[in-house]
Amino acid sequence: MELIWEGFVEALRLLLGGDGDIYAIAARSLFVSGLALSIALVLGVPLGGLIAMASFRGRRLVVAGVNTGMAAPPVVVGLFVSLFLTRNGPLGELRLLYSTWAMVIAQVVIALPIVTGLSIAALQQLDAELRRQITALGAGRWQAFWLQLREIRVPLLATVMAAFGAIISEVGAVMMVGGNIRGQTQVLTGAIVQETRIGRFSVAIALAIILLALAFGANFVLTAVQQQGRRRP
Amino acid sequence: MSVPPVLAACDLRVTRGGRTLVAVDRFRLWPGEVHVLLGANGAGKSTLLNALNGLQPADGELVFEGRPLRSAAERLALRRRAAAVFQRPHLLATSVRGNVETGLRLRGAAGAEARRRAGEALDLLGIVDLAERRRDGLSGGEAQRVSIARALAVDPVVLFLDEPLAALDPPTRRALTVDLLRIFERRAMAVLWVTHDRDEALTVGDRVSYMEEGRVVQTGPVHEVFARPASTSLADFLGLETYLEGHVRTGSDGVSTQLVLDGGVVVACNEAAEGPAVACLPPEDVVLFRSPPAEGSTSLRNVVRGTVKSVTPAGRLLHVVVAGDRLEVGAFVTRAAFEELELAVGVEVAAAFKAAAVHPISSHEHRRR
Repeated sequence: MELIWEGFVEALRLLLGGDGDIYAIAARSLFVSGLALSIALVLGVPLGGLIAMASFRGRRLVVAGVNTGMAAPPVVVGLFVSLFLTRNGPLGELRLLYSTWAMVIAQVVIALPIVTGLSIAALQQLDAELRRQITALGAGRWQAFWLQLREIRVPLLATVMAAFGAIISEVGAVMMVGGNIRGQTQVLTGAIVQETRIGRFSVAIALAIILLALAFGANFVLTAVQQQGRRRP
Repeated sequence: MSVPPVLAACDLRVTRGGRTLVAVDRFRLWPGEVHVLLGANGAGKSTLLNALNGLQPADGELVFEGRPLRSAAERLALRRRAAAVFQRPHLLATSVRGNVETGLRLRGAAGAEARRRAGEALDLLGIVDLAERRRDGLSGGEAQRVSIARALAVDPVVLFLDEPLAALDPPTRRALTVDLLRIFERRAMAVLWVTHDRDEALTVGDRVSYMEEGRVVQTGPVHEVFARPASTSLADFLGLETYLEGHVRTGSDGVSTQLVLDGGVVVACNEAAEGPAVACLPPEDVVLFRSPPAEGSTSLRNVVRGTVKSVTPAGRLLHVVVAGDRLEVGAFVTRAAFEELELAVGVEVAAAFKAAAVHPISSHEHRRR
């Protein structure tokens, strides 16, 4: 118990003292996960819209594939991204393995099915007659899509929360494709693993507090917006 | 009409799963008219409206303002010159003003312009005070007014209304009907109004198309169609429940028309082609007397003497069936008149009606479905 208490005290001292290494790791985590989330949203929401609104042969199979992707273990994603980026892999010439870009790619692969799958679900729950009304209002295809996104903005925020939570806290994929290199590719989760292994619990606890604070802060902001949306649909 | 139709359809077919939902050979919508699509539920009215609005894929030719619509872009161009209101208001998750501005913004109107025109539409519908409210704080009538304001804000050439009053309570429906008629008088747009309510059709319509099983059975000026239904199924729908089967002939004066019933009874009727026919008699055109009026004292040329067979409540009126020797006639009477005449089942009574109230339908049309 004393060990934990001392760890907390030391962690607070490091955080309040502005330890540069710790904040650099936190900033890298935010950069990697923030960029990956942005890319996943830009790709996943329109993809979800396309799948939700189009009717084509094999649509059910595609939806089932997306849903399966939502539950893909990060280590499996890490494995396949590593295989693609390794020197002899299809994208080996890009020399991205063990870089922050490799970590962004891995997190995009994790977040994309989550964003796509939840967007499909949200759009499909939209009243078909409301969709017809939007078309009757004179909306073109993209205008109709944009108006529908506005209608599902509350579930879309839940999608953002779910995807951000999944990638900021995952450890398997980023360690496999980033290498957990101190000062270069190490993010909060990897650093917590490493500091715990070498017994520097105070640093691990400080990093864990930042990770929890980031997750809590992002969810708090999004929840506040979401609840506002509930009061004023 | 010398003015070309604003919207026309030729050989329009809507099929789903091998089943034909709508098959309309010819349909015309003229500028400035309120054209009612009338029919029972499932007759294909809404499907036809959606096909005419480019919302429902259909085979055949659709011509808007003289130009055929063949591509998705051309159908979008039609929807940008038109507007639609459905049974439910389907408001978007924004303010009332935001809703009314939506159609304008989709058409590229700038912020100030959209705001000004939305304000005019809100004023037209008498809902300026609702402008900043959200959809969940509105009553059904208010929400439908917003939906109509949203449609009118874009100044449509064609306004599609799909049962716009069906979900409203009677006082709200009456108030909105009055407002819509006032707006239609001011604007020269064409209106296509779907309803299953014959009174609504009679109140708002200039022309009516009656639909059955996906087909337009009869089209014409609304009073003409109501006065001369071309089929007994339409007569049924219109509430013209008394059928007089017989033979139309010219009267001995060479001018009047008579319907000689199969039992030999002669009924003065509307002008019609000679030959076998069925006549429809609206119960609201039948007047009841305790003793028959003296001949020539009224314009009621037909009198049926008999006894009251049944009395059934019909809203604020009572439906009375009078059974004569060879003829049964239905009539609507007010409750006050019923009491004043001291009517009851079995009481002797005379049912009288004008020749103009009897609408013979020629034999080839009169097969009941």
